[in-house]
Amino acid sequence: MTFFILQVLPYIAVMIFIVGMVWRLCRWLKTRNVHNVVLTPTPKTSCGVAVRYVKEIFLFRSLFNGDKSLWAGAWIMHVTLAGIIGGHIVGFAFLGQQFIYMGVSADTSVFLSKLLGTTFGVILAVALLYLLYRRLSINEAKLTSYFADYMHLILLLGIVSAGNFMRLVPGYSVGFEVPKIYMIQLATFQPVTIDPLMNTAFIIHLLLVQILLIIFPFSKLVHLVGIFVNRLTVDRSYVEPAPGMPVANAGVSVGNAASSGKKTT
Amino acid sequence: MSVNKYTAPAMAKEKEMRALSIIPVSDENKVKEALKHLKHLVRKFRPLMLAMESCTKCGHCAENCHTYLGTRDSNNIPTNRADLFRKAWKATHTLEGRVFGKLVGAEPLTLDTINKMYAYFYQCNECRRCALVCPFGIDTCEVTFAGRQLLHWLGMVPSLHASVGEAMYRTGNHTGLPKPGLVDTCEFLEEEILEESGVDIKIPIDKPDSDVLYIPSSADFLLNPETMMGAARFFHYLGINWTMSSAIAEAGNFGLLFDQRYTLRFNTMRLLDEVIKLNIKKVVWGECGHGWRAGKMYVPSMTDRPVPVPIVHLHDETAHYIRTGQLKLHPEVNNKPITLHDPCNFSRACNLGAKLREVLNPCVTDFREMTPNHERNFCCGGGSAILFDDPGMYDLRIKFSAKKAEQIRATGIGENGDGYLVAPCSICKAQFYPILEEHDLGVQVKGLIDLVGNALYPPINI
Repeated sequence: MTFFILQVLPYIAVMIFIVGMVWRLCRWLKTRNVHNVVLTPTPKTSCGVAVRYVKEIFLFRSLFNGDKSLWAGAWIMHVTLAGIIGGHIVGFAFLGQQFIYMGVSADTSVFLSKLLGTTFGVILAVALLYLLYRRLSINEAKLTSYFADYMHLILLLGIVSAGNFMRLVPGYSVGFEVPKIYMIQLATFQPVTIDPLMNTAFIIHLLLVQILLIIFPFSKLVHLVGIFVNRLTVDRSYVEPAPGMPVANAGVSVGNAASSGKKTT
Repeated sequence: MSVNKYTAPAMAKEKEMRALSIIPVSDENKVKEALKHLKHLVRKFRPLMLAMESCTKCGHCAENCHTYLGTRDSNNIPTNRADLFRKAWKATHTLEGRVFGKLVGAEPLTLDTINKMYAYFYQCNECRRCALVCPFGIDTCEVTFAGRQLLHWLGMVPSLHASVGEAMYRTGNHTGLPKPGLVDTCEFLEEEILEESGVDIKIPIDKPDSDVLYIPSSADFLLNPETMMGAARFFHYLGINWTMSSAIAEAGNFGLLFDQRYTLRFNTMRLLDEVIKLNIKKVVWGECGHGWRAGKMYVPSMTDRPVPVPIVHLHDETAHYIRTGQLKLHPEVNNKPITLHDPCNFSRACNLGAKLREVLNPCVTDFREMTPNHERNFCCGGGSAILFDDPGMYDLRIKFSAKKAEQIRATGIGENGDGYLVAPCSICKAQFYPILEEHDLGVQVKGLIDLVGNALYPPINI
């Protein structure tokens, strides 16, 4: 079983994730923006639209303007999650020595790497717990939630808890080198040499991540891509036609018909 | 016709649907037909597809929807309203729905769901406040549009909408007024203006070789005559060579509200034909929220020919002439306490929010903003013409406007019983006439151009 989780399932999970996401994106891009359904007031220039787009996607602007507590929970959750995913890539690749390039010693770098990872991990767990609590306690959230909505949070909590367990409980840490070697072996299609019995927490962590990857393209988690596509639909620039009506005996200019919006069908 | 256990408006009879060239589908075939339309619609419209597949059900839209706030009916939470569509989509067209079913919110379509759709898609005001607050920009209004389209193809349209659609085919306006009726009304209004402000102002219909075609809401001929007179005063003041057309004396376009194919296109083409016939140089739209959205955003994507002239809104123009100092206004004639209701389509779909204030401020002496305002404003509760008089539906209209009443009350304009609520939209006005009484607000409804007209030509008997 552990052999399957360590050596076989990763390939299946990654394949399903990639193919699934490409399929989902193609399915969305095959649809059309038939009418102009921009949300106003809208920026006048593409530059303004780009600023709005970045604010919406990376700062959750609409949520911030509406519900500060949900914004706090959701934004912190997403930012720490992104930080942790980035930390996994950089930390394991550089064996925790990435901060050397910022001018600190190798020991300090490893210390910083561990500190950041642990802090983010704990904050992420708290944020996820808050989101779960919110779904269970606020009536409107309960009315809109399905079983799957709770399960997604619980799955993420499981992954994060296993990760935090390895960080915080002495003796369960896998260090930097073991995962790095394991990843290289997987990526180069070699048999993995990791000891299957060495660390149950690691196996659980890995298994849950693979389950997440497999369900990702077939769940609401695709909102990761959806937000990019949908925001392009409702946040667009719009140039108003020139005002001023023709007057019988004066030369008030009339606006240009072509400026009033592109044909989209 | 099946009996609907949900609170729903009276449905058009087969005869009324045939007048719209639709043959109602029998109950046995409804589910099969609906699934066909569902697939077609979701595969075509991107905002709809994304509403189906990328909602995270965070529930943020709930507290931002006045229909939910007024009724506390969980089906009126925007994301749950979209679920009427989403459940069937998931059950038939997604892997997760086919494997996990109800656990992920998938449910096969049934006749009961279709009846529920008819009830709840006609309890949506299509105000887009949910789209504004959604972190992903998911627009439940798009789901309602699609839902109503599907219901239209099944032959399920409220009597009100069907009869308005039919009147539009027949006469070119929603009230069904033929040309002599329009001309008579205009002559009567000309006399009114002469009496009130001592100025001889013409209100022309079908005047050839006019420069500007004014598209009024047909309700302005009967229900809101002051709006018609205000527009006439404004054009007259600037010496514009303007006219209205008896073939398209209608700013509204119910195609947007129940049939975004033939009905929407038919009304649009009718406008363009008239532009050519009367040799028009610019089209100016009157005070109608959904109609202006159709005019501004849907004309370019619906017409079969390029749009030959610019189409602007009346308040794009009034704002322009006020900004450039070409109007001499007498704000002292509008000295009542006044608040402004932002029509949803103006503020969230047509970029007019700031301009309405540019126009209103110099025309009045005591303007008080309601909160929230601009694009965060709440709907009047009549949006998308759910102005039904059936007892159950009328009761819902009162509930849908509860939030609005609360906002108006907070401005304090009705304390002496002489406040003005400026609502530059025919549907808002039609909703407010009875609803302000129901909430006992001590407030009268006015159009925005009414006040501009008054401020341009002060009444002679005050």
